[in-house]
Amino acid sequence: SSPCSACVTSMYFRIARYKYYPYQRNTYVIGRQSIIIDFITRYTPNTRFTVPAREMGSILRSEEMMLLQLLLQSDSAYACVRELGEVGKVEFKDLNAEVSAFQRKFVNELRRCDEMERMLRFFVSELEKAGIPIAEPPLNCQAPDPHHLIDLETLFSNDEESLKQLNANQESLRKNLLDLKELKHILDKAQTFFQEGEEVLAEAFVQQQTTAGGVGGAGGGAPALYSKQSELNQKLLADSDVEAGGLATTRFTFLIGVIPAENLLVFTRVLWRVCRGNVFVKHAQIEEPLEDPTTGNPVLKSVFILFFQGEQLNARIRKLCDGFRGTLYACPESVPERQQVRLQVGARINEVETVLQNTKSVKEVALGKIAQSVEEWQQKVKKIKAIYHAMNMVNLDISHQSLVAECWCPVKDFHTVQEAINRGTQLSGSPISAIVNRISTPETPPTYYKVNKFTSGFQAIVESYGVASYRELNPTPYAIITFPFLFGVMFGDMGHGLMMLIFASVLIIFEKKLAKTKAGGEFLSIIFSGRYLLLLMGLFSIYTGIIYNTLYSRTTNVFGSAWRPYYYGTKNQSFGTRMFTNSCAPVSFTNCHNYPFDGACNAVYCDNRSEPVRCTFPTEAQLSSQPYPFGLDPIWLIASNKLTFSNSYKMKMSIVLGLFQLMFGVILSIVNNIKARSLISIIGVSVPRVLFLMGLIGWLVFLMFYKWCKFYSEPVKAPNLLLTLIYMFLDFGDSPNVKGDPVYSVFGINEPETAAQRTIQVILVITAGVCIPWMLLMKPIYLIVKTKRAEKTKTMKMMTDSTSMTVPLVPLEGHNSKMAEMADVSGAMEKGEVMMQEGKEEEAAAGHGGHGQTPSEILVFSAIHTIEYCLGTISNTASYLRLWALSLAHEQLSEVLWVYAIAKYNIAMFGSKSGGGFIIMFALWAVWAVLTIGILLVLEGLSAFLHALRLHWIEFQNKFYEGEGRKFKPLSFAIVLAGEEDE
Amino acid sequence: MSLAEYGFNVDNGYLEGLLRGFRSGILNKTEYLNLVQCETIDDLKLQLQATDYGNFLQNEPSPIAVSVIDEKLRSRLVVEFRHFRNHAVEPLSTFLDYITYSYMIDNIILLITGTLRQRQIAELRNKCHPLGSFAEMESVNIASTPADLYNAVLVDTPLANYFKSCITQTDLDEVNIEIIRNSLYKAYIEDFYQFCQNIGGATADVMGTILAFEADRRAFIITINSFGTELTADDREKLYPSCGKLYPYGLHQLAKCEDYEQVRQVAETYPEYASIFAGAGNNPGEKTLEDRFFEREVQINMLSFMQQFHFGIFYSYIRLKEQESRNIVWIAECIAQRHRTKIDNYIPIF
Repeated sequence: SSPCSACVTSMYFRIARYKYYPYQRNTYVIGRQSIIIDFITRYTPNTRFTVPAREMGSILRSEEMMLLQLLLQSDSAYACVRELGEVGKVEFKDLNAEVSAFQRKFVNELRRCDEMERMLRFFVSELEKAGIPIAEPPLNCQAPDPHHLIDLETLFSNDEESLKQLNANQESLRKNLLDLKELKHILDKAQTFFQEGEEVLAEAFVQQQTTAGGVGGAGGGAPALYSKQSELNQKLLADSDVEAGGLATTRFTFLIGVIPAENLLVFTRVLWRVCRGNVFVKHAQIEEPLEDPTTGNPVLKSVFILFFQGEQLNARIRKLCDGFRGTLYACPESVPERQQVRLQVGARINEVETVLQNTKSVKEVALGKIAQSVEEWQQKVKKIKAIYHAMNMVNLDISHQSLVAECWCPVKDFHTVQEAINRGTQLSGSPISAIVNRISTPETPPTYYKVNKFTSGFQAIVESYGVASYRELNPTPYAIITFPFLFGVMFGDMGHGLMMLIFASVLIIFEKKLAKTKAGGEFLSIIFSGRYLLLLMGLFSIYTGIIYNTLYSRTTNVFGSAWRPYYYGTKNQSFGTRMFTNSCAPVSFTNCHNYPFDGACNAVYCDNRSEPVRCTFPTEAQLSSQPYPFGLDPIWLIASNKLTFSNSYKMKMSIVLGLFQLMFGVILSIVNNIKARSLISIIGVSVPRVLFLMGLIGWLVFLMFYKWCKFYSEPVKAPNLLLTLIYMFLDFGDSPNVKGDPVYSVFGINEPETAAQRTIQVILVITAGVCIPWMLLMKPIYLIVKTKRAEKTKTMKMMTDSTSMTVPLVPLEGHNSKMAEMADVSGAMEKGEVMMQEGKEEEAAAGHGGHGQTPSEILVFSAIHTIEYCLGTISNTASYLRLWALSLAHEQLSEVLWVYAIAKYNIAMFGSKSGGGFIIMFALWAVWAVLTIGILLVLEGLSAFLHALRLHWIEFQNKFYEGEGRKFKPLSFAIVLAGEEDE
Repeated sequence: MSLAEYGFNVDNGYLEGLLRGFRSGILNKTEYLNLVQCETIDDLKLQLQATDYGNFLQNEPSPIAVSVIDEKLRSRLVVEFRHFRNHAVEPLSTFLDYITYSYMIDNIILLITGTLRQRQIAELRNKCHPLGSFAEMESVNIASTPADLYNAVLVDTPLANYFKSCITQTDLDEVNIEIIRNSLYKAYIEDFYQFCQNIGGATADVMGTILAFEADRRAFIITINSFGTELTADDREKLYPSCGKLYPYGLHQLAKCEDYEQVRQVAETYPEYASIFAGAGNNPGEKTLEDRFFEREVQINMLSFMQQFHFGIFYSYIRLKEQESRNIVWIAECIAQRHRTKIDNYIPIF
């Protein structure tokens, strides 16, 4: 076939646009650089299929990619990569995949970045501790040049140093303050301690006097202090050698100190054990939590005082205090001394607090400065890090003068990339410019779509199934419409659709604000990213809701029902008579309620009967007047056969929609085959597939439409389509009509078309029978024959062509002497590309199982695909019945909710006419609204969404979509910055 | 499966799943090979970033000391262990407590030795393993005799039962401390063994193997270390844990040994230990007996992951992680001291 006119025009247009194309075949010059672009290769007929998609828009197929080789001068490489990062259009290929991370060239720079990031994290944590908000960064902060890296580093380390200094000062001050405060609390508590201690000791002394009866003897028994668990019951058995006049305290040593509250219990227990009870403990909790000097966290502490005797005990107790992290303080015994110390301590505390306050404000000033630029620094360091990561993927030239990078880049953005490199060279002031070569490669390029905020949600849905293979047809543009439509079929309700639409609109209207806040967690952010999807889903739900004529399970009667029962039988006497014999006596229109529609169906409810008179099957005459202009007639709401009707209608509709989508999928696979120029796939696979699908399901759909047109008024005679289809195969096409059974005769009995139906069905059955071996065998046989033939010539061909695959680097500046060489190179490239094309063609020709080359494998793959397709024809079509099922479920659920939450009570209230009904109604409405949102909108919406997803992934994409590609991951600062924030 | 195992997941399923996830984070051979290639500690840090350890060193300023790595590795393990302990219910919680007892013993011994050598308690405090810390721990310095130690410090701790046999010792000197340590361990291992047998099922099987090995290893090491000291054969035999495979005949034999060669002969009667002694030696190219035991320990602990519905994997995981920490620290030390010839002497786990 010839290239389409559009593509030819575009080709000439393109060539004309580059004024630099006058004399060299493959080279044009922009700015200071010579760029080799093989235009001729691009637009030779070999590649013509790639051109239209490029012109038509990138969402249909992924961007055309090319592999560029960049020769970057080592002094300008950094700047070039930085500019590329800002542009975000190239993906660097890792040329050092086998080199481990720490052996790469720029690992030291990366390490420095890590170090800077550590300092930045330190700043941020200090800022958070101090509660200072971090300022917004300027919009565009460029990554600094490499020689400025050291400036940043010194800046950071100076700041870190001063902060650490301040922290250390603060810590020592705090420690000081803590000691003072502890001492203050001790002094406060000491008074009561000593008093109580004295009392207890004295009491014990008296007790001892009385009980022991003056057992004396100097240096007698060791003092035995007895303390029980309960503080109140602490008793002292004083020693007997205390002089009667003096109080016991004078003889006791005491230690006073502070201990963390959580250690107190164990401390006293061990103390008791160690001293064998010869110690008297008093303790009191310090109510005000003290500050831990290092962390600044509040800690609870207790003051304790110990009375005991003897030097040995003293040493042990001191050790014990040390072990339990208690601090002992010296405390004067006499009250005036204590008061004096207390005053001094108070003054010291004030002093230290002032100093601390000063330190804090100094620190705040320092932090405030940091807060202004910390975010900017972070962005800069992240950018630098990304640049060096990219540069680590680059090879060193043998001469070490330049770096050789390979990167993927969209063909369309070539000029942007090039400009970025130019800019980088200029900015770095390098005298020698970078060189960009396009090189050919047998590798499959990555898949890249330029998505916008509208298409990205849909693209994400498709890609969660699998990233498209390179340049494969993208299902997204079709899914943009079909996905919300199928959702709407299952979710058809004007009211619910409207609510969804409003919700999506709110998300879209405030999208800029919402995108910034990032509140609401992962789940909401998923919903937010699908806001345009939601919008369309809402719109299509409204559309199908109008067709179904349901508004929160009710109907709207905009145009007035078109249903006109003829009670008096003027036009169809027999029908009218049947009505009358079955129901009430003739009634006049005036005696009937206007329920619920005015004018249109007056005769439905008769005043002398509670049951409405229902016309189940309106006659031809009744309907011939004028149908309801759009959607279902509202009268169906109260028809007793409403469900029978809507089931039949929706079931058929599902099959029809299914056929269309399946057929569309098959057609897209044909388009793919055309693009791969695999004639054998079209003839050997696509054609029988189309015939098979159309012969079976297509015929069924045709019969449906025919039945709709023909049998609306005579239900009894209507044929059964399912049985028709089944018997078409069981009885080889002909039997139903020949039998004369009305059940099978779609075209009527004894009419001219009857014979036609028979003939058609026989032909269809034969076609379907032929299609199966056709699909199964034709292509494999062709391939097997072809490979055998190719094998003979292959070795020869490979020997001649293999040299053309490697492409040497092309030197700089448009020297005329090099031209011939360049022409050679590009000639070789052209050949290489042709080779690639051929290779691809072969691969494509082999189809899905193309990699397996042995005949048996080809046959097995073909068999699998044939079986899958034939079974799929039935099962995929049947799968579309979920449209009906979900839609039915949705409709019934909302009706149940309406009836049981509102309608029943509504009738009851209007019957009773009580005023209180208003309040009940108000409450019931709330119940109804909550359930509507919770069950119908959220749950039903989710289920409809998942089913629509399934229909697209499995039934639709199955037909043509490979999805084995690799996503394009460009070096882009925008992604780097956004990604880091997400973590 | 016994009836208890049907209900295993009700209580312990979450933790087992979590642990098996952690297990796949244990460094494998290629990761070790990458670590060994490192030139500097910073390289090591970069390599560790690529493993499950991730950014655990990222907030350390750049010249990283090996001790910092050790400390970070340890605190990581402690965090994981505390998470397990906090989510565990009986009997797993007790099982996990048993694991901490060995660290408690180590800490006590460390503190006593430290105070004997006149070290400050605050200095020793940082060297204690956080898993084995308990409230009374730091007051050991007041005790001058084992009886003191028991009465004042240990009586309330879980170690009290293990300590009873040591109270008779008169003094706290270096030899006695060793004896105390070993008799504590003996009592601990036997008690732990009994506890696991009481749990029954796969736990008893798996832990039985592990603890039997542990017991025998201690017996061998005690014997070898006691050559040239005044420890008599009888005293020595009292220190052997009795739940191993050597019990009772092998232990008698071991008690009679007087040099390394005799120990090796005893080991040869047990195939599993014969192989360990066969490849051990102090010559270059040979691995030390200690390393050979570690290797076997790693093997046994790996095997415990082959069974499901038992507690042994918790023990094994901790042991394997300890071994991994030792490996990383070893490699880091070799790098830091530019002593690369012995860098391959780590014990790979996978």
